[in-house]
This record gives sequence, C-alpha cells and structure tokens, in this order.
Amino acid sequence: MNKLTFPILQLLADGQFHSGEALAQQFKVTRATIWSAIKHAEALGITIFSVRGRGYKLPQAIDFLDKNLVLSAVGEQREWINLIILDEVASTNTYLMQQKNVPHATCVAAHIQTNGKGRRGRTWVSQLGASLTFSLAWRFQCGAAALSGLSLAVGVALMRTLASLGVNQAQLKWPNDVLVLDENRQGKKLAGILIELQGDLDGPSTAVIGIGINLNLPKTVLESIDQPTTDLNKTAALNKNNNQPINQNFLLGTLLKHLVSVLSNFEQLSFVGLRDEWLSYHAYHRQAVRMLLPNGTEVLGVVKNVADDGILLVDTPLGLQRFSAGEISLRGVNMQGVRHVVGD
Amino acid sequence: MDLRKLKKLIDLVEESGISELELTEGEEKVRISRALMPNQAPMMQYMAAPQTAPVAQTVPVPSAATPVIAEVEGHVVKSPMVGTFYRSSSPDAKPFVDVGTKVAVGDTLCIIEAMKLLNEIESDVAGVVKKILLENGQPVEYGEPLFIIE
Repeated sequence: MNKLTFPILQLLADGQFHSGEALAQQFKVTRATIWSAIKHAEALGITIFSVRGRGYKLPQAIDFLDKNLVLSAVGEQREWINLIILDEVASTNTYLMQQKNVPHATCVAAHIQTNGKGRRGRTWVSQLGASLTFSLAWRFQCGAAALSGLSLAVGVALMRTLASLGVNQAQLKWPNDVLVLDENRQGKKLAGILIELQGDLDGPSTAVIGIGINLNLPKTVLESIDQPTTDLNKTAALNKNNNQPINQNFLLGTLLKHLVSVLSNFEQLSFVGLRDEWLSYHAYHRQAVRMLLPNGTEVLGVVKNVADDGILLVDTPLGLQRFSAGEISLRGVNMQGVRHVVGD
Repeated sequence: MDLRKLKKLIDLVEESGISELELTEGEEKVRISRALMPNQAPMMQYMAAPQTAPVAQTVPVPSAATPVIAEVEGHVVKSPMVGTFYRSSSPDAKPFVDVGTKVAVGDTLCIIEAMKLLNEIESDVAGVVKKILLENGQPVEYGEPLFIIE
C-alpha cells in the first residue's frame, strides 16, 4: 500500500504526461517519493510510461471511479446504496464476505482488484480503467434454498443495463455469463457474475454479488485469458452510430439502479417474475447443446426452458433432465470451432 | 422394458446426479426421479404411455443402497440448498476438512454451488468430523446430510 499511488493515478487518468517535478510539488513530497509511488503502481500490474524529461503517463486516458458520478447515475435509487470505492483490494467479494454485519445494499468497487474471484479457484483478470469490478451485498429474509434463481436474476439486471447503453449484441449463457456471439456463433465473454451466500437453512441470508465487466482490455490481456473474451468498447463499436466510449462511472451507476430494481422484484416474485425476460436473452434457448457436468461427464440435448428456481431443463435422448450445474456449449461448435457431425 | 434395464437406468440416474429422468420408448414410458428427502433411494414411476393405456402400472423398486445414517451418533450438518458439493475452494486446494478434523463453530466445511451461487457451509457446532457423506463434485439435494460431527 502506498498512500500516494492512487492520487497520482487519478491525475494520470487524463492520459497526458505529468512530470515528476510537477507531481512532487503538487503533493509536497520529493521526486523520489513520487517515484516509489509509481513503482507501487507498476507492482500492481499498471503500465506507466516513464520518459526522461517529460515525466509519467498512462498508455491511454481512463475513467477513474468517482463516488459522486456513480451515485448521480443511480438516480432516485441512490438512497438505497451504501457505496464504498477502494483503491486496491484482493477481491471485492472476499472483502464484503469478511465484514461483520455489512449494511444492506453495500456496494464495494475497486480501482484495482489484484485477485479477482472466479468459481472453483479461477481468477477474474482486471486492469485499472480497463475493467469494472465490484460487489454488492444484499440481505434477504429467506434462506439459501429460495435464492437459487438469484444468479439468473442478476443477469437480467446486467442485460437491462447494456440495452440502456445501446449495447444490443450481448446475450446470456445459463446461468449468467454475458456473451457476445461471433460470426461462428462462438461466445466471447463480456461479463461474469459470481454470488457468495452467507446464511442458514431458514434465513435470513446475505448474498454478496460479484460482477466483473470487461471495458477496454488491451490485446495482450485479452489474449492472456484462457477463454474467448471481449469487452464493452469493442462490443459497442459494432454499432455504427455508437462510437462514444462507455464511461465506467455511468456504467456502474446504471447497473446499480437496475440491480436495485431487479433484486426488489426478485424478493417479491422470485425468479418466476423475471423468467420470460431472462429467456429472451438466453443465447442457447431451444438450441442443441452439450452440457459438461461437474463430475466430468457430458450430456447432449436441446435446451427446453429454465425452471422456477433457475434450473436448466434440457431435452435429452433419455428424457427431460434438470441441471443446477454444468458448462453449456453449443453443439456443432466446439472450443476450437471445429464442426461436429450433426446429431452427435 | 425388463427389470435389468430399469435397474441400469436407476444406476445411471444415481451416478449422473441428475434429479429426474423421463424416457419414452414405443408405448412405454418411465420416469425416475431422485427423492428430495435424504436417505431414500431413487423413486420411480413406471407407466404405459398415456395415449394407449388408461391404466398405469407402478413398479416399486427396492432401495438397494440406502446409507444408514441413523446409526451414527452425532450432529448432522445438512445442505441448505440444491447444488453441487465441493470439499475444497478449488480443484487444487486441500479439502476444508477431512474425517478426524477438529472444527470450531464457524469453520468452513464445504461449498455447495448451484448456478454460480456459492454457499460456504460452516459448522454450527464444535467437534470432530466423524463422517463425510458425499464425494467431491457430487450433486446434493435440499436438506441432505453432508457431515456428521461429534
């Protein structure tokens, strides 16, 4: 931790050169202190150009998370949200899970998440200004069993947000990955959701909803991720009349607004009230798919529906099967895009 | 459909961990559903296809391998939801607990996952893990016993 690193980064967010001397004057410290704050940023994986005689510069201008800008995008629902913006944190989800008695609707966003969480020990790769990562804690009166459709409901909030930003190419992949399908109908991941629960059989329970959205990932980072990935700016650029980059603060605020609305709806009507909308976003609805189950076995079938609790219903040669876990992929297209014989 | 085939189907349902399977073959239709209650073998309905036969037959299937939990004394930790049972935080990580591990109230015992919703199950008693009733990666039903702690 270096107290100066993030205040300096906030200045560098304009994408311009700032000399070590000017920075030193501004923060009333020595240039060596500025240098060590920059070193700390680099240790966090942030690329900073350092040019003799000109100073320091980020590769490109970025949006810096700003509490007031986020809350003003939330609008009327802002009273609900307890927003905390952290400079650096290992994982926003873990941070919230470790808090005792975290207030309802607490949102923690971080400039840098050094060890973002995926499922089963996987990580979520993020970069300063290039991805939005945050977690929202929400208290429910019910127990864990009644929350199983929550995972899908959160996907609805994400899709509403993207639509309101003019991004219409995104779709959901059960249970809640946000994908953009390319011309070969291969899904590239745009956003992910991971929810952690605390609570008993009967409730009340607290859900910590972690969301990661790729905003503007450099090519090197995109290529370092072990699955097909895309970001919001590349997706928005697919619309010819939409060349305005999406502002991170506006994105987070809009997302929180839709989350408050979807989660309140979910509390009253459970997932059932959102199911039709969810199905309209599902990339693989009524498609021939392959399910890879946690025990390593594969099931082939056609996606039929999702149940009241979010469970995926698949028509298989052995009849209708219900899944609460598994990785779904389109049949006919495998990870390498190689075509399989129809009916395999 | 002969009994051997039925038995095979039941085994298939049990192994794969799906909760329900429906199969139509000609005029026969069979549905196997895993019971939601713990300690019960899969239940099965067997009936002729509705369009041909108004009378349904039901063949109860003997419960072959019902685990006998009642005999073990101790505190039973149950699953709060339907999902998949994981003994560690990631495939490479050590299990949270093994048989014989001493646990305090609040110690994590396992993770139940359903649809990317992860639930860390904590021990609600202090004691020693006496029995682990499921294998890693196995599906689990609501209220199903997971651990016995003594």
